[in-house]
Amino acid sequence: MTTLTRQDLNFGQVVADILCEFLEVAIHLILYVREVYPSGIFQKRKKYNVPVQMSCHPELNQYIQDTLHCVKPLIEKNDAEKVVVVIMDKEHHPVERFVFEMSQPPLLSISSDTLLSHVEQLLRAFILKISVCDAVLNNNPPGCSFSVLVHTRDAATRNMEKVQVIKDFPWIVADEQEAHMQEPRLIPLKTMTSDIVKMQLYVEERAQKT
Amino acid sequence: MDELYLDNIDEYVNDQDKIVTYKWLSLTLGVHVNTAKQMLFHYLDHRRKESSAQLHATYLVSGKCVDNGQASHKVSVIKEDKLEDFKSKMSLIVSVHVYSVQKALLKDSGPLYSVDYDAVKDNMKNCSKYSAIRCAGAVPVSSVEQTRAIQRAPSPEPESKRSAVNGSAHPAPKPSTKPQKGIMGMFASKTSSKNQDDGKDVKSEQKEEAPVDDAPKSKPAVKANPMMNFFGSQAAKKPEKTVKQEEAPPSSSSVEQKRPQPEEEEQQQQQAAVVKPKPKDTQKESRSKTKRVEESDSEDDKMDKKKRRRIKKPVSDSSDEDVIPDSPQQMETREPSPSPKKEIKAVSHSRQRDAEMKTRKRRRVLKSRTFLDEEGCMVTEKGYESESYSETEDDFQAAKPAPKHPVPAKRPASKPDEKKSQKKNSANANKGSKQASIMGFFQKK
Repeated sequence: MTTLTRQDLNFGQVVADILCEFLEVAIHLILYVREVYPSGIFQKRKKYNVPVQMSCHPELNQYIQDTLHCVKPLIEKNDAEKVVVVIMDKEHHPVERFVFEMSQPPLLSISSDTLLSHVEQLLRAFILKISVCDAVLNNNPPGCSFSVLVHTRDAATRNMEKVQVIKDFPWIVADEQEAHMQEPRLIPLKTMTSDIVKMQLYVEERAQKT
Repeated sequence: MDELYLDNIDEYVNDQDKIVTYKWLSLTLGVHVNTAKQMLFHYLDHRRKESSAQLHATYLVSGKCVDNGQASHKVSVIKEDKLEDFKSKMSLIVSVHVYSVQKALLKDSGPLYSVDYDAVKDNMKNCSKYSAIRCAGAVPVSSVEQTRAIQRAPSPEPESKRSAVNGSAHPAPKPSTKPQKGIMGMFASKTSSKNQDDGKDVKSEQKEEAPVDDAPKSKPAVKANPMMNFFGSQAAKKPEKTVKQEEAPPSSSSVEQKRPQPEEEEQQQQQAAVVKPKPKDTQKESRSKTKRVEESDSEDDKMDKKKRRRIKKPVSDSSDEDVIPDSPQQMETREPSPSPKKEIKAVSHSRQRDAEMKTRKRRRVLKSRTFLDEEGCMVTEKGYESESYSETEDDFQAAKPAPKHPVPAKRPASKPDEKKSQKKNSANANKGSKQASIMGFFQKK
């Protein structure tokens, strides 16, 4: 079994791949569970050997994929501190924020056959947790929209602005209104620690939603 | 039964926000499933009497119902609010019990499966320990019998006309999966039966070589997509050579006949090439070889872009295109057998040719072929193809085996695919005759 070190570009790419796939599934699931879009557009698919809901709408899928495609280089270099899925009401005030905090250990060599199945198991637990987060969250008002914010370390965003990873898909600095939420309540959902990444998911919810 | 279980369930449901299914509960607490079901029922009852706790439950209803005049036995997981409704539709109710208790209102049944998945996975060996379903005859096969069954299965498949050297490495596709990556190897051996259906694999011969022979790896002309390993070097079914030859003509004729003209021309060319004295042959072949190498490289780049995106495992692809030169061993035992082709003529031609040139030998090369499958997706498959090449390894007739590539794809697709596979053949073989280049690994990223 090969040992991979952090220096290995392969390793960074692999981890970024895994995380981006997971984020894609998670975003779709959040949209389904929080009823941001009507459940009719969602279809049951399989990921990590469990059923998940993914949307069939091509533009939505493309948007999510493009978003994550741009985020991937940040994750590769371990520059992405948090990826946040913000659900906003009609006035574009954030109502809920699903925060995925992730960090990768800097210098680590992994050599484990069961590593990936272990990671899969942990990601499965995340998916399950998102599915039942209804219990702890209040209902959202109708007519919500969502957006994805990325908090990066240092000045990684400067690179992002310089180089458009995907054509016609620019990233802009989020404005205060979107980033800041009034009276947030923090509800932790899940944490995971593995050899390749440490991730935490919590929800910030506005005290009064409507 | 003490009342502690109520607290346990309470903790799971309320504090940890878990979905508590009866199966999960029985595995966690180590009780029989019926006990778990009763526990859940009591808990539900208890909580609802105590306080109007926001608890939701799902039920499993099993019974007979008449559907459009057809009587059937239905087993369903029903949400609580639809329970009465469903029960009334059934003509006879065999059993109703609590399936799960959770705090959140579930929108679909997906999470119910996820909950049990990990619990069952952890207890694979004894997941039915607490189950109510029993069968006296269902006893797990002992490991001795298991290995026997495995050995019995592949033995009729590969042809056994090899020398004793190969015979020792005989058992199963298993040894040859070693060069594959861990997880991919598992997939490859599982889907070996898939390859049996592939027309091509019927004609290829399996090599039971130890991984030692993989050492002189050829430069991977096409960097394998991890998905390609699904159809990996596990062409499992290997009928006898003679049978194969007979099979080849009928099956090849049944495969669509693409471009009979150019093929014939090529064969004529090859024939002419063979008849010529060797040195001349080498010259001509080397010229055509280099040309083909360039073309194949450009095609390989194209292939890369069309590959489907897959999760990349940390273990990188290491054994993509393996040329297994085992000619010295096979010299005694192998008759030259034609690789798959479309023309019946070609079969007889090649036989003649091989008979003439005593120095020509066949070897098995792992090749990948690309074709469009039914959905119009480009699929690349790897399979062992036998090729003929001369002893010196300089003179390689790339053209000869190329037209014999049966392409199990749609008509329009097969033309370009065949061309590609031809060129890939030559590219692979060329690289097999030289030292494997280390840069081959880094070519495709």
